Amino acid sequence: MAEVLLRAEELGKTYGTVAPTVALRDVSFNLEAGEFVSIIGQSGSGKSTLLNLIGLLDTPTTGHVYYNGHDAGAARRPQRAAMRNDLIGFVFQFHHLLPEFTVLENVIMPGRIAGAHVATLRSRAEEVLALLGLEGLEGKNANALSGGQKQRVAIARALLNRPALVLADEPTGNLDTTNTKAVYQLFRDLNQQLGTAFLIVTHDRRVAQQTDRILEVQDGRLLQDVRNSYLESPAAPAAV
Amino acid sequence: MLSLAIAVRFLRRSLAQSILIAAGIAIGIGVQVFLGSLIISLQADLVDQTIGGRSQVTVRAATDGEPLVYTQDVRDAIAGQPGITTQVPVREFSAILRVGEQTTPLQFTAGEVDQLDTIYGLSERAVAGTPRLSGAQVVIGKDLAEELGIEPGRRATLILPDGQTELVAVTALVDLGSSAANSALGFASSLLGSSALDFGTDEYSAVQTQVEDVFDSVAVAEGLRQQDALKGLSVSEWQSENEDLLSALQAQSSSSYTIQFFVLLAVALGIASTLAISAVQKTRQIGILKAMGMRDRQSGRIFFWQAAVLGVAGATTGVLVGIGLILAFSAAGATFTITPQWGFTALSFAVGVGVALLSSLIPSRRTSKLDPIEVIQGG
Repeated sequence: MAEVLLRAEELGKTYGTVAPTVALRDVSFNLEAGEFVSIIGQSGSGKSTLLNLIGLLDTPTTGHVYYNGHDAGAARRPQRAAMRNDLIGFVFQFHHLLPEFTVLENVIMPGRIAGAHVATLRSRAEEVLALLGLEGLEGKNANALSGGQKQRVAIARALLNRPALVLADEPTGNLDTTNTKAVYQLFRDLNQQLGTAFLIVTHDRRVAQQTDRILEVQDGRLLQDVRNSYLESPAAPAAV
Repeated sequence: MLSLAIAVRFLRRSLAQSILIAAGIAIGIGVQVFLGSLIISLQADLVDQTIGGRSQVTVRAATDGEPLVYTQDVRDAIAGQPGITTQVPVREFSAILRVGEQTTPLQFTAGEVDQLDTIYGLSERAVAGTPRLSGAQVVIGKDLAEELGIEPGRRATLILPDGQTELVAVTALVDLGSSAANSALGFASSLLGSSALDFGTDEYSAVQTQVEDVFDSVAVAEGLRQQDALKGLSVSEWQSENEDLLSALQAQSSSSYTIQFFVLLAVALGIASTLAISAVQKTRQIGILKAMGMRDRQSGRIFFWQAAVLGVAGATTGVLVGIGLILAFSAAGATFTITPQWGFTALSFAVGVGVALLSSLIPSRRTSKLDPIEVIQGG
């Protein structure tokens, strides 16, 4: 059995104090190293909130997030930042590239934040860019790329520090069908080639069906956690 | 230095904004350098004209009119006082100068010409003849000479207070800087002074001195008063006798400081507001960097570096602008020379950079506290 990379334990998130809104409640699950998992749910179901908590971008109101057995909630802000940099790669719907920098500079940014030398990072970035079919675009400004190219650059950036986990929040939300297929194929290839775990938030069930495991969130609760092989079967495992 | 690299890239991305704020700093520091040098030079000129050519700390006998016995101990005590640059024993007397039928009262300072030169600069101030003061020789002001129609080499009669007369030779005419001084002051040989006052060889009216920093005269005078060899003598200094001039200088300094303070305040507010705007403009980027693991302190330093780059670039240009203004002012035919004050210029540069860095505190703190989720959630 593969080791547990991430453990979410009774995660809950409530916004506001005067008129509290519960966005997430009592969500627990484990994620093993190298897993390829999707989180599905309707808009407003809490799936992005869950991803933000797991990604240590936000702090839970209740519960804990453990990475390799360490409680991220007990860590101070600098340590949480270091965990984000070291363990997690982010791919956002709006790619969030830095317009002031070139493609190469964007890709090596997580490495520079970690304190690595540009020369070391350059060769690693070129490798990742080649893997994503972005050769020759290194010197281009990030703003000068097409939507699909930008998202691939964002993926390259997420992979640079060789994270154990890539968190992708609606990564193809702004892409056409061809690019959407290409991006998910890429995720799958990277998962298999590099052994990186993927946790992909999507509202599209067809996309989710291409992953190995689906976490379905509804009204802030984890409705079901199923292995994809059972999806076709009407006798799928019961809700969590 | 990732923070510096990002800061520079942010500044380059908003180039027009960066140039404008650097220009604002440059103008502020330029005005600062120019105004500071102008005021310091103006004051130095004023001080030099007013007290540069006279005694700044004077030692006399305690009783008016009594002689001061200028012993070796007195000489050594004055020479040993830190800050004193020159000491000149003089004999001061009043006399009437008569040329033909015209008579004029004059206040004479009698001493050795080479010693008097160290305070009054007679050789430099001579407009006709060569100052020599031995025996019955005198030097008078150019205005009096004009009035009496007298030239170097001519003889005149000196009527001393006791009614005796001395035939003296005028060796030179000097310009003492003001018409009043040129009409009323004269210089005579030490011997003539001794004879006029009936003083012995080591008896003088006063020992006149000059000090290294004219504004130290109070401390120097106090130091002299503490000397055993000068006990029983009276020590006076120029500041207590020129309160009007001092208050004028202080008023000038105060108004200069006020202007400089508000110029700097305007610069600080300009930088602070620009950096605050920049911090808002770059919130998204900072949030993304933090999501990727940039630490709070590292992100806060981005605006510190932006301020440092703007401050150094602006202050350097400002120093050049200030020096340019000084040169332009001098070239435009100013009545006195503005000397660039390098110490003050360095201080202005440091203040410019310091103010810029101080202005980065608010955006730096704001950036440090930013949570990446604020940006990520907003898309």
